[in-house]
Amino acid sequence: MHKVIHSESIKAALTARGWSQEQLATAIDESPQVVSHWLQGKHFPRPEKLLKLATTLRLGFDQLVMPDANQPIIAFRKKAGAKTTDEHIVKAMAMAALLRPLVDYLPERRSLHMSLPSASTDYVPLQNAVAEVRAKLGIGTQAVMGYERLIKEFKDNDALLVPALWGEKKNHKNALHILLPDKSVTFVYLNLDTHLEDFKFWMAHELAHVYTPELAGTNEGEDFADAFAGALLFPKACAEAAYAQATQVHGVQAVLNTLLAHAHAHAISLYTVFRQVQNFAQAKGLHPLQLSDVQVHAVRSNQHNGLVSEALFKPMAPNAEALIAVTANLFCSGFFVALKTMLIERGTGPGYLQQILDIGLQDATALHRALVGEIRR
Amino acid sequence: MTLVLLDTNAYLRLAKRVRPLLGKKFGQKDYVLTILPEVVDEVHRSPRLRHNYPWFDATDLALERLAHAPRLSAQDKATLVAATSVLQGLVQMDTARFMTKGRSPPSYTDCRVLAFGQIRPAIVVTDDLGMHELASMVGIDDIWHGPELLKKMLSAKLIDNELVREIYAALEVNRDFTATWAEAKHTSFVKIFGKAAD
Repeated sequence: MHKVIHSESIKAALTARGWSQEQLATAIDESPQVVSHWLQGKHFPRPEKLLKLATTLRLGFDQLVMPDANQPIIAFRKKAGAKTTDEHIVKAMAMAALLRPLVDYLPERRSLHMSLPSASTDYVPLQNAVAEVRAKLGIGTQAVMGYERLIKEFKDNDALLVPALWGEKKNHKNALHILLPDKSVTFVYLNLDTHLEDFKFWMAHELAHVYTPELAGTNEGEDFADAFAGALLFPKACAEAAYAQATQVHGVQAVLNTLLAHAHAHAISLYTVFRQVQNFAQAKGLHPLQLSDVQVHAVRSNQHNGLVSEALFKPMAPNAEALIAVTANLFCSGFFVALKTMLIERGTGPGYLQQILDIGLQDATALHRALVGEIRR
Repeated sequence: MTLVLLDTNAYLRLAKRVRPLLGKKFGQKDYVLTILPEVVDEVHRSPRLRHNYPWFDATDLALERLAHAPRLSAQDKATLVAATSVLQGLVQMDTARFMTKGRSPPSYTDCRVLAFGQIRPAIVVTDDLGMHELASMVGIDDIWHGPELLKKMLSAKLIDNELVREIYAALEVNRDFTATWAEAKHTSFVKIFGKAAD
């Protein structure tokens, strides 16, 4: 990887201190000529000198080194109310950097990926985009979007699913999307410790990122992914039918029950159904349903269907072997197969798993043991 | 005084049995052990670590950690952030270097521990082979494996042979017996465990 020193940032730091390049050279025990060559981009400092530059000028890596042209693209599907901090981004970028060596062990990738011509959140173009995707998948306008269809679509677009066990509440994210543009591969992490009725929505949200890689990591991309997910899972024809039924019944509870029946049939949340019905009504100039977000959320809070991890692993607590099996067989992902080959071939330790999966060292050690057997570290 | 900074695993391997562990001077160089608050965070974040080390939150240990937590000036904190970021950047520039021979690329916390050792300065104690590789990459010499620390504690009579035996037995029971500890058993602690059988 060719690296170049960030000379502008270093020169600015020198100016702020009133230092010359010679004074910097003295402070880091280097010759002025070598420092000059660094700043001209002719040479790159050795690791110990880069560290010395950091501690002397108090500049971080991004301020000392020019960014890589092939920076990974990161998108979080955050938990409600969670804020993304610099620490989250740094951690995700580190995960991305560590995933690069794994790419060499993945199956050969396709050259053609599905992409959407428009990433509009306006009703008509959004419904057109969703109709195109459903037609491509061979699913009728009112048919239930099954998990298997979504999973196949990830695979067909070289997006590797990585089921994760990040806990129900403690982690900042429910899903994480890491695109390595130069490698044309995407890693999609999905937290299995999430409610069943939300899981399909998050998968569809992540699929939107796969279809619109240029928007991943932007607010526009997040808004589109949310809009796309809802519309894909409960498109116009479904919303129209639900609206017609909901407007035939009387009372808040009856309306909620009507929407709940649709939510259960599609294995999605009541809120997704409600939002799609309201969007349909608004687009058609019809009266919206007389329900508030608060009323819908109150019902939703009482209707949770348990966690995906519980549904998958019950009655046992999830363990390394089960997670590996589920990833390969249910999510049709070659992630752990590639990982196993790489760990054995390179002799990589469990700390690698700890970081790329964002789990504790002991969980990583258990996974490492399950993948490569007992190896003395 | 010579500050000695333990990483998470080094601390977990000793803290249950060596009491008091932190803040006590020992040896000819007046070694004093300490840990970063990130170690506590790391344990609290991991249900498995909390489960496997239930003694971690015992009041006396929590108070000991609090009393002997290292303090940094605002300037040192800024330097720590910068140095940590560069160490992590170096790892990401050359990940393959840290992925062979049982190594793993050092994490953010690992980089922070190494960076701290450069700023205070402190000797870093870790059995993480990736951290040792990174230290060698940037010319950090003050880094020990866990058994090196144990040996110094034994020489300074901070611990006795029986405690060394207990610590080794616990590592084996917990399947936490790294190659470094295994190798040291019959080289650094010959008087206790004897020479390795051929």
